[in-house]
Amino acid sequence: MSAKRLQLLGGVLFAAIIAIPVFVESRFILHMVTLIFFYIAMTSAWNIPVFGGKMSLGHAAFFGLGGYTGAILYVKFGVSPWIGAAAGVAVSLLGGVVMTLPLLRLRGPFFTLASIAFAEVLRMIAIDWRSLTNGSVGLNIPFKPGWANLTFQSGKPFYFLSLILAVAVVFVAYRLRHSALGFHLRASASNDEAAQALGVDTRRAHFIALLWSSGLTGLIGVFYVFFIYVVEPSTMFSLTLFSLQPALNGIIGGIGTIWGPVIGAIVMTPFGEYLRFYLGTIQQGLNYVVYGVVLILTVNFIPGGIVSLVRPNRSNRSDGSGSSSDTQEAR
Amino acid sequence: MPLLQVKNLTKRFGGLKAVNNVSFDIQAGEIVGLIGPNGAGKTTLFNLISGILHPEEGHIILDGQPLNQLSPPRRSLAGLGRTFQVVRPFAMTVLENVMVPLLARDPHMDQARDSAMQMLALLRLEHLADAQPDSLTLAQRKRIEVARALATRPKLLMLDEVLAGLNPTEISENLPIIRQVHEQGVTIFIIEHLMDALMAVSQRVLVMELGALIASGTPQEVTSNECVIKAYLGEETPTC
Repeated sequence: MSAKRLQLLGGVLFAAIIAIPVFVESRFILHMVTLIFFYIAMTSAWNIPVFGGKMSLGHAAFFGLGGYTGAILYVKFGVSPWIGAAAGVAVSLLGGVVMTLPLLRLRGPFFTLASIAFAEVLRMIAIDWRSLTNGSVGLNIPFKPGWANLTFQSGKPFYFLSLILAVAVVFVAYRLRHSALGFHLRASASNDEAAQALGVDTRRAHFIALLWSSGLTGLIGVFYVFFIYVVEPSTMFSLTLFSLQPALNGIIGGIGTIWGPVIGAIVMTPFGEYLRFYLGTIQQGLNYVVYGVVLILTVNFIPGGIVSLVRPNRSNRSDGSGSSSDTQEAR
Repeated sequence: MPLLQVKNLTKRFGGLKAVNNVSFDIQAGEIVGLIGPNGAGKTTLFNLISGILHPEEGHIILDGQPLNQLSPPRRSLAGLGRTFQVVRPFAMTVLENVMVPLLARDPHMDQARDSAMQMLALLRLEHLADAQPDSLTLAQRKRIEVARALATRPKLLMLDEVLAGLNPTEISENLPIIRQVHEQGVTIFIIEHLMDALMAVSQRVLVMELGALIASGTPQEVTSNECVIKAYLGEETPTC
């Protein structure tokens, strides 16, 4: 697809996005598109450390930390959600530091596995610390509509808020990828030893990337809580909803790229909701079986994700370039 | 004062002494070759100096600064550049590959792009700036490796078999580059299996066998040294 046609397509798409809440009255569609925006933001934030090859399956940790911080401050202390959002970012950044420092010694799958454990531990804490979190029942956001309370009668404000979030996170990811940090991360992902020998402090780069990612994910978590009016451990720290889903979106769209997470979220969010409604009622967990099959097929047949089909020469070379010839010259 | 001082360096892998009590100096402005049979410990020595491996004993001093406690990126910032025997360029364009070390020193994108272009011109790679490295020949990828290392503006550049695996035409293209880099004022420490090429560029040659330094001298001295000949031809009970 040529650049001009892509631009045109983007323009049409953007116009449609703005027009949807004006012309469409269906709450279902508004809700679905809002959810897509949230997932675009989440997946793009998740994707930042992936530039450097660090794949987390524990991002629900940051999502939950942000969401819980915003909710607790509002429900228990009457603090405005807007201030709560800043606090949520701060707490999830702290979570990012705690998770990242010990985990950065781990490579590849070990980092990924340890990140799952981190989110699970936080879920347990959220269940057990009843005085603060109200245990597994969670906290409800009281319905007092108004911008100050980030609570609305109509679905439209959150439609635009989540759109702004999505655009902002994609923009941040874009800027980071094309900065010195982005170069360091990409270099580390393809050959960490060489990057270090060239003076790149790759551990520092991974650390900063994870901080961006955790802070942004915490911010999204705060807004999400006010979107669904409730925090509870099994939702906010959900392995499937907020740790696996962003990873799945990213892998299917194209990890380590800017547009992969966007496309992945657009495709997978409605698909996932559809599966959950129709297959979930037949047999619980059946939808995840389908997810698994889709994932296996993607990784096998289009390892670069959907974006690699659009731009086959650019985005699908995320690893192991020239590996076939390495064996030759090693002899 | 020598540019590089290596003192009593020892590295064990289990019971094997891969580098055994090795000491030598490299003076600023030299081109020093390092030869030895397969498994002699040449690359291990490079890895110790660049910080990928840590020695059990010994000291490494670059330009008066002890390197032992520094991480590999710190050693690079201190003026130590190296290439790898198995070239694996980053999965980005040739130009971007060379920008990586520059951006590790100064995050300004435009400056890095300009400097990287100059570096590519020096190594006659500028026409390939936007190419993906995995579409290039081995000789070209080895040049990218040199360009990247050179972009760190090293005081000492360690080249690990930058000519191995190339055909004679490619060698005659890449060999002058080593001299050219040297003329820019960079001190060079080079591992090479191709004796002719190494002897042609080196002012001094170190010889390793079984982890130990067994000879040092001009190319002529080394090639006529009996120990070296025995090390290469093999002998049941080495007397050296």
